[in-house]
Amino acid sequence: MIAKDAILSNGGANETFVLNLGPQHPATHGVLRVKMTMDGEYIVRAEPVCGYIHRMQEKMGENRTYAQFLPNTSRIDYLSAMTYTHGFVGAVERALKLQVPPRAEYIRVITSEMNRISSHLVWWGAFLLDLGGFTPLLYAFDDREKILDLLESITGSRLTYSYFRIGGVYNDVDDQFLKGTREFVAQMRPRLKMYRALVTDNIILRKRLIDIGPISKEMCRKYGATGPVIRGSGVTYDVRRVEPYSVYSEFDFVIPTCEETDSMARYAVRMEEMVQSLRIIEQALDKLPAGPVMAEKVPRVLKLPAGDYCYATEAARGRFAVRIVSDGKEIPYRVKLRTPSLSNLSLFEEASAGMLLPDALALMGSLDLVIPDIDR
Amino acid sequence: MTTPNEPQPKVDSAPSASPPAVPAPTAVVPPKPVAATAPRPAAPAQPPPPPAPPAPNPLAHLPLPFKGVDYAAKGYHADATVSPDQVIAAAEVLDKEGLSLDTITGVDWMAEGQMEVVYDYFHPAKALRVVVRTRIPRDNPEIASIHKVFPGANWHERETHDFFGIRFLGHPNLTPFLLPEDADFHPLRKDYAP
Amino acid sequence: METPESNAQLLSDCAPYVKFAKLDEMLALGRANSLWPLTFGLACCAIEMMAAGASRFDISRFGAEVFRPSPRQADLMIVAGTVNKKMAAAVKTLYDQMPEPKWVIAMGNCAISGGPFVFPGQYAVVEGVDKLFPVDVFIPGCPPRPEALIEGLLKLEEKLTGKRRWPTVKPE
Ligand code: SF4
Repeated sequence: MIAKDAILSNGGANETFVLNLGPQHPATHGVLRVKMTMDGEYIVRAEPVCGYIHRMQEKMGENRTYAQFLPNTSRIDYLSAMTYTHGFVGAVERALKLQVPPRAEYIRVITSEMNRISSHLVWWGAFLLDLGGFTPLLYAFDDREKILDLLESITGSRLTYSYFRIGGVYNDVDDQFLKGTREFVAQMRPRLKMYRALVTDNIILRKRLIDIGPISKEMCRKYGATGPVIRGSGVTYDVRRVEPYSVYSEFDFVIPTCEETDSMARYAVRMEEMVQSLRIIEQALDKLPAGPVMAEKVPRVLKLPAGDYCYATEAARGRFAVRIVSDGKEIPYRVKLRTPSLSNLSLFEEASAGMLLPDALALMGSLDLVIPDIDR
Repeated sequence: MTTPNEPQPKVDSAPSASPPAVPAPTAVVPPKPVAATAPRPAAPAQPPPPPAPPAPNPLAHLPLPFKGVDYAAKGYHADATVSPDQVIAAAEVLDKEGLSLDTITGVDWMAEGQMEVVYDYFHPAKALRVVVRTRIPRDNPEIASIHKVFPGANWHERETHDFFGIRFLGHPNLTPFLLPEDADFHPLRKDYAP
Repeated sequence: METPESNAQLLSDCAPYVKFAKLDEMLALGRANSLWPLTFGLACCAIEMMAAGASRFDISRFGAEVFRPSPRQADLMIVAGTVNKKMAAAVKTLYDQMPEPKWVIAMGNCAISGGPFVFPGQYAVVEGVDKLFPVDVFIPGCPPRPEALIEGLLKLEEKLTGKRRWPTVKPE
């Protein structure tokens, strides 16, 4: 509402206008819409409007069996499909008290971490594209294709894997995959060093990120932000460490955090996470036990005992949790998917108030949003 | 200066790293599955061990009816069923404990004529997952909003309103969130028919 | 008396006898080899569209790398992902904003038919973008591989010029 005297004063300080960003806008990574009330170049209020890619994932959970819902889980956050599938099969296994063979658990860890690296690489390329640099995208996708080749050789898919099955994984890894993964780890380390020299130390990038979009610890807690966002605010929260699932407690890795709380902190945390993922992959390859990859006696018809079951995993964007409410039938009574991007974005309105528009887009990029992950 | 300052590796960074405080009692070692799979302390399927010791309650000091839950079996550590007018008080208490809001959701128990509202909380520093649930009548689903305590609840409540038609009283902007702007249906109600 | 109608009438009357063949062919050739797609990612399939534009698959080999963020500068819309009812109006607007001549590729099962999100009683997705506007090429897959998108582009070129620029590779 524009006050009358503001109009009369011919452009007073409180004259605002509304800028509509999206739902088709190159910087919103898909179909996010942001209604921005602007005062010149400054944001007074930026209100995200969601739902442009709502795909009924939770409704679909209620009208198909557990096994039939599995493919959906890799289409929620398609960039880190493995961890999402893991959350769902984990909840079902927890309810059925299924013992997953150790080899399958290790394969899950290896593939999840590779998936995490490929997800961070897409973020890295797309984020820098937002900031105006096109070349990093080409480097990122080059490395990402190597991961996808490896994953494709065992899962048959490049993006929407559905590789984890209830009780194990779909098929065993072969020697070629193991050899290729080792080679990839060896190749990726110098690449990450090169990324640092090429991009991270670049003065333009630093000027655009340092001190831009600080998000305090308290704000993260109040909004439930997780993943690199909360770690970039100096909180060592990682589901892999706090509620260790699968065999994560057996590996030696560091949860990178950064006290600076700005966009650069979130950037640095993600870059360091790739290094740590490589470490986990290497250890898992060394320790990979022999044995079956599928639990024996997985019932053909899955009926969960009545009750509710939760399972949380650390996806590339943060904490992903599944809550299955079962009434003892073959079809879940309710499937709730708690996705990290929704909570991470919900603090955008508060964090972006008073920022310059281009800085707010840097902040938004540093949150690493996947819109179907918000809308489900 | 941009390298993340590395918190001392592994152990100490997160309190109670590997063995989360609670599932300890489950280690009433299963007699059947011999050795083989050590890492998971899951109970055996066959004979349900009758004197299952109740899981310790990590929130026993709070003035709410929290019960300890076996994490390995359920995926959370404490659970409380409160009356609908207690949800704000519960949120405030858990806020003081340093917990963070995970999500809010509904479950439509049509046969019983009730709606369940489930609040999930997690602790950003230690292994503590808490569930607070309450039930409200299905034909007049109204409950107070907790957005004043946790501003992050704003979107979760809007989403729950979309899906179940639960009205959150005192919510600043209870408009469709994931559904189209003019939506007047609530698809996750069990009697929803397009 | 020259009115636009009579001109159009005249043109169609003499169409069997007069042909502007060379110019038409040249224009078609130019268009086919420099398609400007709209930067318009919706969901999972958009990542494969990005992959098609990036290092390994390099869509610029086929002259289609100039992704335009504005529909006013684009002549090809690649619908990559699910269109839901909330989004449908915006997609339609984007299509209407593109200048003629324009083409549409429906990439992925979602854009073709709603894909995996169709079930009796579904309330959100549009079951195929051909319900909104005409589609020239359909590329099946969930998601289609980048090679499939490139093949779709070649098919579109074939539609524009009448002949195929690259040989087809027979699967062994
Ligand atoms: S077709 Fe498959 S991969 Fe493509 S948008 Fe739809 S669900 Fe995603």
